[in-house]
Amino acid sequence: MREYIIRRLLLFIPSLLGVSLVIFVLMRLVPGDIAEILVYSAGSEQATVAKAQIAKIRQELGLDQPIAVQYVLWLKNILQGNFGHSYIEDRPVWNMLREWFPRTMELAILTLLLATLWAVPLGVVSAVKQDRWPDYLCRSLSISGLSVPIFFSGVLILFVLVRYFQWLPPLEYVSLWEDPSRNLQKIIWPALAQAFYISAPITRLTRSQLLEVIREDYVRTARSKGLIEQLVIYRHALKNALLPVVTFTGWWVGRLLGGIVVMEIIFQVPGMGMGLITSVNNRDYPTVQAIVFVMAGIFLLLNLIVDLLYAWLDPRIKYA
Amino acid sequence: METRIAPSRAQRTEREDSREEIRSGWEETWSVLRRFPRRQPLGAIGGILVALMVFFAIFAPLLAPFDPKAARFDTYLPPGGDFLFGTDHLGRDVLSRVIWGARLSLYVGLTSVGVGITLGSLWGVVTGFFGGPWDAASQRVVDTLMAFPPIILALGLMAVLGQSVENVILTLTVLLTPTAARTIRSTTLGVKEMMYVEAGRATGSPSRRVIARHIIPNVMATYLVLFSVNIAYAIVVEAALSFLGLGAPPDEPSWGGMLTGATEYLERAPWIAIFPGVALSLSVFGLNLFGDAVRDLLDPKLRGTGAG
Repeated sequence: MREYIIRRLLLFIPSLLGVSLVIFVLMRLVPGDIAEILVYSAGSEQATVAKAQIAKIRQELGLDQPIAVQYVLWLKNILQGNFGHSYIEDRPVWNMLREWFPRTMELAILTLLLATLWAVPLGVVSAVKQDRWPDYLCRSLSISGLSVPIFFSGVLILFVLVRYFQWLPPLEYVSLWEDPSRNLQKIIWPALAQAFYISAPITRLTRSQLLEVIREDYVRTARSKGLIEQLVIYRHALKNALLPVVTFTGWWVGRLLGGIVVMEIIFQVPGMGMGLITSVNNRDYPTVQAIVFVMAGIFLLLNLIVDLLYAWLDPRIKYA
Repeated sequence: METRIAPSRAQRTEREDSREEIRSGWEETWSVLRRFPRRQPLGAIGGILVALMVFFAIFAPLLAPFDPKAARFDTYLPPGGDFLFGTDHLGRDVLSRVIWGARLSLYVGLTSVGVGITLGSLWGVVTGFFGGPWDAASQRVVDTLMAFPPIILALGLMAVLGQSVENVILTLTVLLTPTAARTIRSTTLGVKEMMYVEAGRATGSPSRRVIARHIIPNVMATYLVLFSVNIAYAIVVEAALSFLGLGAPPDEPSWGGMLTGATEYLERAPWIAIFPGVALSLSVFGLNLFGDAVRDLLDPKLRGTGAG
């Protein structure tokens, strides 16, 4: 067990290095030099000015150095918390990340909270009333959730709000600490749309796990000692059934990151996803590079946590 | 995976094993497919939806009343009259764009999954069969590619490659290949331990022959499952990329692209967003049902592995 944890922790480092290498190579594949793109997209077309500027930016970015040196320099900078400088916004990328990150996390956490709050009870109902109408209802709800792509359900939510309630979420983003109610009025909709989507697999898993556990001997024992049904389900069965659900949900959070980008765009939440799209459109490559790296880092970290959680929650599992 | 496949095969009796050898993997696959509609009613419903989508995709030039790219009508015309689904913000016929959208979605889905899953499967079969340091190295490559949140990797790639349908296909291929390589490799590891493979090797068949005659027919079921399950996924990712303005160029009739900016004129012309959205959802729904059924039939062990 301890060996497994250590090995799993050590695996994190080469994975992160691999990810950073892919991102670095990817950003070097951009046609033309980043410095050129920066200057030309900024609009200074006069050749002489541009040339001087390009040379200056190249030097600043270390683009006149060999590729390998550039990579090491970039890594070193990241380790020191220096994610580069955005020429479009003209400020350190780190400052922007610090602004965007909490908003994205708030959205992610709220999504997950709503999804589990809704999905787990639905799965329990589905399992307890197996093959009766509540079960069919729950199952068709969850299948439909999986089939509507989140950007469409997001648009539909907006449509219903506008058309039938003549109401739009506030345009400006206010942080949760400043004005919780205004913040929630904006954040709740993207969270709901995505929660509906990810709740589908959680419901299905909860149902199938609970159905399996209900047939175990210890549940029969609990019943035969005369415990009331609710106690049997909630105290005995559910605890064990939820184990894979927990890890599965953790694994889903990683995939949630992609959806969050879409949600932030539809509902105009100025988080990392919106930052990513804006900087891609502006060809702000230092920022793109930083955001992709941070998101991949979060993803890896989540996978690590899920794996460790699994080992901790279920001691029966042996890791060879 | 491999540990779960091996014992269940070993538990079978010898007679079953020999029968399985006579009925090659291909024949078994075929007979399973023939029993499909009766055993999987939901899958058959999915199949009908998929068939509809394929029909619209093939006959789009005949079925679409107008040129999907021509912006030559009044803007924001509501559904009805000449324009069954109305016109969009540039004066294009929404119905024509929805019909051609089926073709674009299917084209992107089939080519990217075809190339990605096939390449990945070959990669998985070869590395799984030979093992050794190349296998270990290639596993690290797979690890690295799978260490990215898929959509984020796709967005990064599209940012570098630029907007075009071909680049979407390329990006999707990069996303799908490692998944297929990983799954098929583990299946190959299981098949490799079978007696008939050992026998083939013992009689001196060259590796190429063993792979072609014994390994590939036996990973075929997994391959087909990966194929059917991932088409819906590829279509959704294409739509999402196009929606974000980083997939198909705006004049291409992509269902996702048609939803772009829909929020701006949602109040005025909801039909611009709703028709392509419904078409996309129905297609994905059909493909999901169909893919699930194919998976249940061909390889129940893959259930819940998140292969899609």
